[in-house]
Amino acid sequence: MNKILITSFFFILFFNNKAFAYLDPGTGSIILQSILGAVAAGASYCMIYWQKIKNFFNRKKKNKND
Amino acid sequence: MKLLQNPSSFRDPSGHVYKYNNRIIRVIKKYGKKRYEFIKENNLIEESIKNNFLIDTKEIENEFRNLKSENFCYFLEHERLDYISYPYEWGFYQLKEAALHHLKFQIFLLEKNAILIDSSAFNIQFKNNKPIFIDVLSIDEYIDGDYWNGHNQFLQQFLNPLLLSSLKGISFNDWYKGNLDGIKTTDLNNLLNLKDKLSFNVFFSVVLLSKLEKQNTANPKEALKKINKKRKLSKNSYRSLLLQLKKWIEKLHPLPKKTVWDSYSVANTYNEEQERGKIDIIKKFAEKHKPNLMADIGCNDGLYSFESLKSGCKKVVGFDIDTNAIDRAYKNSLKFDLNFLPLYFNATNPSGRLGWFENERESFIDRLNFDAVIALAFEHHLALANNVPLEDAVKWIIKIAKKGLIEYVSKKDETVKKMLSIKGDIFPDYNQENFEKSILLNGKIINKTKISNTRILYEFEKN
Repeated sequence: MNKILITSFFFILFFNNKAFAYLDPGTGSIILQSILGAVAAGASYCMIYWQKIKNFFNRKKKNKND
Repeated sequence: MKLLQNPSSFRDPSGHVYKYNNRIIRVIKKYGKKRYEFIKENNLIEESIKNNFLIDTKEIENEFRNLKSENFCYFLEHERLDYISYPYEWGFYQLKEAALHHLKFQIFLLEKNAILIDSSAFNIQFKNNKPIFIDVLSIDEYIDGDYWNGHNQFLQQFLNPLLLSSLKGISFNDWYKGNLDGIKTTDLNNLLNLKDKLSFNVFFSVVLLSKLEKQNTANPKEALKKINKKRKLSKNSYRSLLLQLKKWIEKLHPLPKKTVWDSYSVANTYNEEQERGKIDIIKKFAEKHKPNLMADIGCNDGLYSFESLKSGCKKVVGFDIDTNAIDRAYKNSLKFDLNFLPLYFNATNPSGRLGWFENERESFIDRLNFDAVIALAFEHHLALANNVPLEDAVKWIIKIAKKGLIEYVSKKDETVKKMLSIKGDIFPDYNQENFEKSILLNGKIINKTKISNTRILYEFEKN
C-alpha cells in the first residue's frame, strides 16, 4: 500500500513539473527587475537624503564663511 | 509585381515586411492596427526619425489601396539599406553601439509613454557606420507598472556577448552564429571567476539572474506564484534599469588580446614606395569605376577602403577574420566619418543561411550586392594557409563582384616563405601562370601591375 502511495506521489510530482516545463525562461528577469527596481528606488531615496545632509553642512560652512 | 514576404518577418502577428520591386514595404495587419494607430497618433515615427533612432519610414496611402482589406490595414515604406549585416558579424564596438542605441531609444520613447516590446539585436542595422532601428512595430504604448519584457533578451543578445569579450577575452561571434538568441546568462555565469562576480553589475545581471533562472527551472510553480505576487514596476525604476545598463555598457571594452594581424598595416613586407604604388592603383580603380558599394575582402584596419572612399567609391563593406582589426577599422570609420562598415568574416566558413527553415538570416552569397571587390594580400591565405585550390580561391573572389582588384603573392614572398616553413610546400600548382589562367576561366584581365618582386596587382572584369 505504502509503495503505491509513494509511487503515485512521485508520479503526480513528476507530472506536475512536466506541465510547467515550458515556462518562459524570462521569469528570472522579471524577479530580477523587481529587485533592481527596489535597489534603484532605494538608492535614489538615499541620494535625496544624502543631498539634504550635504546641503545642510554646506549651508553651515557657507554661514561660517560669511 | 507581387508583395514577397521577407522570410525573417514572421514572429509578430502585428505586421510583416515585404519586398516589392526592390522596395521595402511593411504591412500593418489587423492585430497590429491598434498599436500602429497609437504610434501614429503620438507622432512617434517622425520624432524617432528626427532624432536618428529609426530608419526612414513613411505611410503610403494610395498606391496599395487595391490590396487594403480587413487584415491589410496600413502600408509603410522603409528606406532600403545597401547591405544587411547581423550581430554575429559585428565587432565588439559595433555591438556596443547597437546596445547603446537600443537603450537610448527606449529612454527617449519612455518620455513619450512608449516602450520597445522586444530587444532583438537583429532589429538594428548599420546605415553607413551608425546603428539604426528598423522595426517600427516594436514600439508600443507604455502602461503604468509595465515590466521591461525585453530585459532578458537584451541581456542575451547584447550584454552577455559584450561581457564574454570584455571579461574573458573571447570573441562572441562564432558562439552567436551558433545560437541566434545570443549567449545565455547561465552559460556566461559558468565561465566567470570570483573576481568577475564581485562587481556590483555582474553580480546582479549575471550571477543573481542565473541563480533565479536555475531556481525557477527547478520549481516553476513557485516562480509563477512569486511573479503573480510581484508589485508593478514604477516608471522611474524602468528608466533607472535602462540608465544603469547604459552607464555600464558605455564603460565596456574588449579584454586586450594579441592577434596575428595586430600590426599588419604598419609592419607588412613591402617598403614605403611599393606601398604608395599599391595605393595609387587602388585610388585609380576607385576613380575610374566610382563603385556605389564595394567589398574589401581581408580589409584589416581599413586603409585601402579609406583610400577608395576618398577617390570616388561611395560605400565599402569590409570583411576580416581578425576581430581586433575589425574593432580598429570601426573606430577609424567613426573617427573619419567614412561610409565604411567592417564585418567579422571567415572566408572558409562564411555566414550561411540560418534560423527558422534555414531562411531567416541570409548567407554571404545571398547578400552579394557589390559592384566592385578588392582582395589585397588575401588569396594566398585561402590557397596556401587554408589549402583551397588556387582556381577555386580566384573563382570565389570573382563571384563577389563584376570587377575588382586581386593581389597575387608569389611563393618567394617573405610572408609566404614563413607560412610554408613548417607546413612545407605542398602546392605544386600555385604559380603566377595558373593564377592568370584561373582569372581567365571567369573573366578577363584588364590591367596587371607589379608592385614588388613578389607581388602583382590584377584588375579583372567578370564575363
